[in-house]
Amino acid sequence: MTSVLSDINQEESHYAPKQAYFNPYEQNGGTVLAVAGEDFSVIASDTRLSQGFSIHTRDLPKTYKLTSSTVLGACGFHGDTLTLTKILQARLKMYEHEHNKKMSTTAVAAMLSTMLYSRRFFPFYVYNIVAGLDEEGKGCVFSFDPVGSYERETYRAGGSASAMLQPLLDNQIGFKNQHGVTKTPLSQEKAIKLVKDVFISAAERDIYTGDAIVLNLITKDGVKVETFPLRRD
Amino acid sequence: MFLTRSEYDRGVNTFSPEGRLFQVEYAIEAIKLGSTAIGIQTSEGVVLAVEKRVTSPLIEAASIEKVFEIDEHIGCAMSGLIADSRTLIDRARVEAQNHWFTYNEKMSVESVTQSVSNVALQFGDDDADPGAMSRPFGVALLFAGIDRKGPQLYHMDPSGTFIQYDAKAIGSGSEGAQQALQDVYHKSMTLKEACKSALTILKQVMEEKLNSTNVEMAKVTPEKFFHMFSKEELEDVIKDI
Amino acid sequence: MTKNKLAPTVTGTSVLGIKFNGGVVIAADMLGSYGSLARYRNLSRVMKVNDSTIIGCGGDYADFQYLQSVIEQRVIDEECLNDGFGYTPRGLYSWMTRILYNRRSQFNPLWNVFLVGGLQDGEPFLGFVDKIGVAYESPTICTGYGAYIANPLLREAYENNPNMTLEEAQKQIERCMKILYYRDARSINKYEVAIVTKDGCIVKPPVQPETNWEIAHLIKGYE
Repeated sequence: MTSVLSDINQEESHYAPKQAYFNPYEQNGGTVLAVAGEDFSVIASDTRLSQGFSIHTRDLPKTYKLTSSTVLGACGFHGDTLTLTKILQARLKMYEHEHNKKMSTTAVAAMLSTMLYSRRFFPFYVYNIVAGLDEEGKGCVFSFDPVGSYERETYRAGGSASAMLQPLLDNQIGFKNQHGVTKTPLSQEKAIKLVKDVFISAAERDIYTGDAIVLNLITKDGVKVETFPLRRD
Repeated sequence: MFLTRSEYDRGVNTFSPEGRLFQVEYAIEAIKLGSTAIGIQTSEGVVLAVEKRVTSPLIEAASIEKVFEIDEHIGCAMSGLIADSRTLIDRARVEAQNHWFTYNEKMSVESVTQSVSNVALQFGDDDADPGAMSRPFGVALLFAGIDRKGPQLYHMDPSGTFIQYDAKAIGSGSEGAQQALQDVYHKSMTLKEACKSALTILKQVMEEKLNSTNVEMAKVTPEKFFHMFSKEELEDVIKDI
Repeated sequence: MTKNKLAPTVTGTSVLGIKFNGGVVIAADMLGSYGSLARYRNLSRVMKVNDSTIIGCGGDYADFQYLQSVIEQRVIDEECLNDGFGYTPRGLYSWMTRILYNRRSQFNPLWNVFLVGGLQDGEPFLGFVDKIGVAYESPTICTGYGAYIANPLLREAYENNPNMTLEEAQKQIERCMKILYYRDARSINKYEVAIVTKDGCIVKPPVQPETNWEIAHLIKGYE
């Protein structure tokens, strides 16, 4: 009896008119990673833009230089990323004209939070990480969720391979759950080597991460950009 | 009035053939009827001092307020129409909080002054902007504060013009007070000296005898930010002059 | 809320684009499908915008015609000013990205994918925009079925010969269009090619390449 009923229900649901819906979002993949040191920070991303099993392009860095001491990493839905970064750049110029000074990394982070929250009920589907130097010249990293919740951290991975990278960073930079280790401060050289290594690892397993890495080193002298290849399959 | 200034007085935003906006100029004149206010900037901080006109012994002097806190790091003294000043002070406070909310940093003194000056010229006798003023604001303001550039003092008048000063006096006694400020001011002035000078000069230009109830004084310093002088603190300064 | 379009009706399939030394080629076949019905067999899906810009379109044909009329009107308005300014490929690409993103944000999308091609400051330009406002530039771009079948071939050709001539680029496009005709059930053996070079841009007359079905009878098991 019950099986007959459920059969009928299945028949009905099969023939029920389907509401064709429009999905305004898409996951375009990509990974960003930022690490703060004492007087520097590093922020890197891969350059792959994909959709499903297709690679749109192998050359789309997901880091955006905002000022001489602030770089944004953003991935998720690329349409929102394009819009958000465009509005951000406009807001940055407006701030500089209104207040006759360069926007600090902490101010950029606070403003980004309000911009994301203003779209709380139709969010920018973007995972943001802001890296740079704070007003004391110390390295800083701010990580965000798509609706604007944010916090200052020393390292953070975001995007499609974040769940692979974050534990690696917890181990190598945070020295989490380890006994008898000396917590040495992170040097520039080690940070860069580490970032390269973890991206190579992510590209090994995550199909949405690959093609190349763009690495930004932010110091008091400005932003130095370096790229190097990743696997392309 | 019409005899001297003719029809260019009627529209508040009508330029005269000589290129003047009479209503704005009258508003600037109106400040000269207001009580005197003085601001002095030193390397240790900024001081604001104003006279309160207690025109009747039945007035509760403490209810007259002419120095305001905009944010913890910025103060403001006014001269002119008190009611008009409320609108501008409110705007300054909102802008300062908005800036803090959005950027998580203190708004600079210049930016606060700029944001208030943007309102100063938003007047007109058309219906284009309901809620806007129909005439210029009849107030001059002194913004005193601390920001990344250190202690700063800004003056803004009804035309929206704002200029940074080392020391500035506004109101009815401003002419004499400004001259006196020019004579006493020097770059290495301490804040204590500035407080004393401010009251000394106020005393000279005030009609009533200066005491701890008919003046208001506030200072903004890097250590304590905005601080309004209590009656006792005022008396402490007054006894030395 | 008015009822917005939630599904396309008459659609075009893949659009292909590739840069070559001194210009860009964009190609699309001429079929307008109504679901699985090959409804219209002679629709133009490439468009000349001005002497340095072309676009190609996939997806809903009505939406394409709408945007086409908007673009044409804007080009006319620009021309009337006679100030020497015209839409640049990059400018049009950015404008279209904004239009499509704004429409998707109002839940009333233009159900298309576009390729924008052209010459800007003497350099070839090729960009992609879709119905939700995703946009990117690339030396080779293919949409729809072509993304799977044609793009790997074009990428390989481009990597092996990044300075290909117009003739070489056209050869690659012809090869890919043919393969797509063999493999894509929503395609037709008739396509148009638009070309931008420093001498201007043209949409060439439709071509119907020779096909060869000799091996078709060997494919069994799908009857």
